[in-house]
Amino acid sequence: MRFTHFLRGLAAATLTLAAPLTQASEPLTIGTILSTTGPAAFLGEDMKAGMEIAVDEINAAGGINGQPVKWVFYDAESQTSKALNATRRLISQDDVDIIVGGGNMSGIALAMVPLATQSKVPFISTEGAHSIVAPVAEREWVFKSTVDDRQVFERLKDYFDKKGITRIALLHDTSGFGQAAAEELKKLAPSLGLDVTFEAFAPTDNDLIPQLTRIKNSDVQAVLCWTVTPAGVIFAKQAEQLGLTDRELIHSYGFVSQKYMELAGSSADKLLLVSVKFPVGADLPDSDPQKAPIKALTDAFETRYGRAPNQYVAQTYDAIQLARHALQASGGEPGKTRATLETIQGHKGVGGTFNFSSERHSGLSKEDIVLIKWADGRFRLHDYK
Amino acid sequence: MDSNTLQIIFSGLGTGSIYALIAVGFNVIFKSTGALNFVQGEWVMMGGILAAFCFNDINMPVWQACLIAGVAVALIGGLTERFLVRPLVNQTPFALTLVTVGIALLSKSLVMLSLGKNPVGYPGLSTTTSTHILGASVATQTLWILGITLTLMALTHVFFSYTRWGCAMRAAAANPRAAALVGIRHSRVVFSAFVLAAAMGGLAGTIITPLTLMSYDAGAMLGFKGFSAAMLGGLGSLFGAMAGGLILGLLESLVSGFVTSQFKDALAFLVLLLVLVLRPQGLLGKPEVVKL
Repeated sequence: MRFTHFLRGLAAATLTLAAPLTQASEPLTIGTILSTTGPAAFLGEDMKAGMEIAVDEINAAGGINGQPVKWVFYDAESQTSKALNATRRLISQDDVDIIVGGGNMSGIALAMVPLATQSKVPFISTEGAHSIVAPVAEREWVFKSTVDDRQVFERLKDYFDKKGITRIALLHDTSGFGQAAAEELKKLAPSLGLDVTFEAFAPTDNDLIPQLTRIKNSDVQAVLCWTVTPAGVIFAKQAEQLGLTDRELIHSYGFVSQKYMELAGSSADKLLLVSVKFPVGADLPDSDPQKAPIKALTDAFETRYGRAPNQYVAQTYDAIQLARHALQASGGEPGKTRATLETIQGHKGVGGTFNFSSERHSGLSKEDIVLIKWADGRFRLHDYK
Repeated sequence: MDSNTLQIIFSGLGTGSIYALIAVGFNVIFKSTGALNFVQGEWVMMGGILAAFCFNDINMPVWQACLIAGVAVALIGGLTERFLVRPLVNQTPFALTLVTVGIALLSKSLVMLSLGKNPVGYPGLSTTTSTHILGASVATQTLWILGITLTLMALTHVFFSYTRWGCAMRAAAANPRAAALVGIRHSRVVFSAFVLAAAMGGLAGTIITPLTLMSYDAGAMLGFKGFSAAMLGGLGSLFGAMAGGLILGLLESLVSGFVTSQFKDALAFLVLLLVLVLRPQGLLGKPEVVKL
C-alpha cells in the first residue's frame, strides 16, 4: 500500500499548490477499487491511469466548487473478497462521497452493489455487465460509465441484419463478465430474432477445440467470443486452425487490446471486435462528437505515460468526470449526488455521449459502439453505423 | 471414428500430456520426501515465461529458448531445494508441503515483479501451425507435445529402472534409513528429485505456451490439474501419472465436446472424486499396507 500513500501524498501536494483560495474547504473524497494485480491486472493499470489523469485535471483546475478532490485507491487483486473489504473500508473509514470503479471485473462490481446500496453511497461502475445497473429499482445507487452487453447485442443485431445473419453461437467464459452476457442474451435473443447456441469455457482454460468443433458442426453463421482473458487468443488461433474463418468471428469489447492482437498473430486479422469508438478515434468522421475528446485524452495520456492509451483509460476517465459533474451539483450530499447522476443528459465523454435517467443507469447507447478490425498493427474502423 | 471425434481426442491428448508431465513431477518429489510439492505448477509457468523472455527479448530461436528455459527451471528447482528446503529443521512431509505452498506464492510474485503481468507467447517448434490427420486439423505443436512427453516418460522410466542413480533414488524412497546404511545420501536424493521435477515442469511449460500462452498466475491451475492427474493415476506411480494425465485431459475435452461445455471442470472432477472414493490408491497405485 506504500504506492497508495505516495499517491495520496501526490494528490495532497497538488492540492496545496492549487489551493490558495480553498484552504478552508473540506476535500470531496472519491474512492476507487480496481485490480492492479491478479488475472485482471492488465486492465487495472490503464484504468487507474485514466482516473489519475481525470483527478489531477480536476484539482489543477481548482477542484470542484473550490473543494479539492481527495482520491483513495485500493487494489482488489482480482479477488471479490478483497474488493468487498476495501469497499467496507471506503464506506466506513474513508467516508467517501462516491465510489468510482468496481475492481475491473463484472463479478466484483456486482458483489459491491449491495454494499453501496445498503450504505446509500453512490457508485459509478466502470465494468461491463448490464446486470450491475439492472433492474434499476434495486440498483438505485449504482451507475455505469461503460457500454454494456445489452447495447452490444443490439448493435450487433444491426450488423447481422446487414449481413443476413440469424444463427449465432455465444462462446463465453464462466467469469462474471461472461455469465452476465449469456444471461442477457438468453433474455434478448427472442426479441432480436436471433437463434443462439451457448458454449462456455473457464477463464483459465487453454483448449477450446471441443467447443469450436461443436460450433463448426452446427450451422451458425457467426461466433461471438465473450472474455477478457488470454483464452480469447486461443479462440482466435484455434478457430483459424479448424477453418472456422468462413463464419464471422467476433470478439466482445472486453478483448480490444493491442497486446492480445499481437499474441494472436495472423489469426487476429480474421477477427471483428465490438468496441467503443476510442481505439479508432483517428478513423472517425469529423462530425463525430467523440473525435475531439478522444484526441485530447490521447494527447494528455501520451505526454504523461509515454505510451498510447486504450479504451479502458477512456471509460475510467469518463467515470471520474461524471462523478465530478454530480459532486459539483450536490456538494457531496449522497442523495443529491445520486439524483444529479440520474439527470445527466448529453454529456460528451470520451467513450461516448452519456444520457442517464431514472429508468436508465447505463449512460451509453448502441450509437456509441462500432465494429473494428485489426490490420497492419493497429485497429481500423470496420462498421460505423 | 469421424474426424470430429478424432479432433476432440487429439486436443484431449495434448492437454493430457501436459497434465501427465506435471503429475510426474509431483510423483518424483512425493516419492523422495513424502510431501506434495505445490511449486510444481509454478515451475511450469516459469518454463513458459522464461522461454518467452528468451525468444521475445533475447531473440533466440524457439528450440533454444525452450531448452534454456528448461535448464534454468531445473536450476531453480535445485536452488529451491538447497536453500529453502534443506535448511528446514522440521522435515516432516506435512511441514514440507506447507513450505512448498509458501514457495509457490513467492515464485509467482517474483515472476510478476521481474517479468511483468502480461500474458506472453511465442510460435511453436514447427513453422507450419497445423496439419491434417484423417480429416482432423491438428496443431503441429500438439504433435510435438505428444512426442516430447512420450520421450520424456520413456527416459524417466529408463532412468529409474536401469541407471545406478535412479535405483539409488528408488531405494531411498522405499526405505531412507536402509538406503542411508548402504551409503546413499538422502539429501542428494531429494536434491535430484527437485531438479528432475523442476526440469519436467519447466519443459512442460515451454512446450505448451505456444498453444495456450502463459501468464504469471497460470501456474496454480496447471499445478492443480497435474495434482489431480497424479491422484487419479495413483500417487507415486510413473505409469499412473501418464495414465491419469491422459485420462483427465481426454475426459475434459470429451465432456465439453459431447456433453456440455458449461460444466466441464465439474464433470471431470466428479469422475476424479468417484475414482478416489471407489479406489483410493488411484487407478494404478498400490494400496499402502501397514503391518502391525
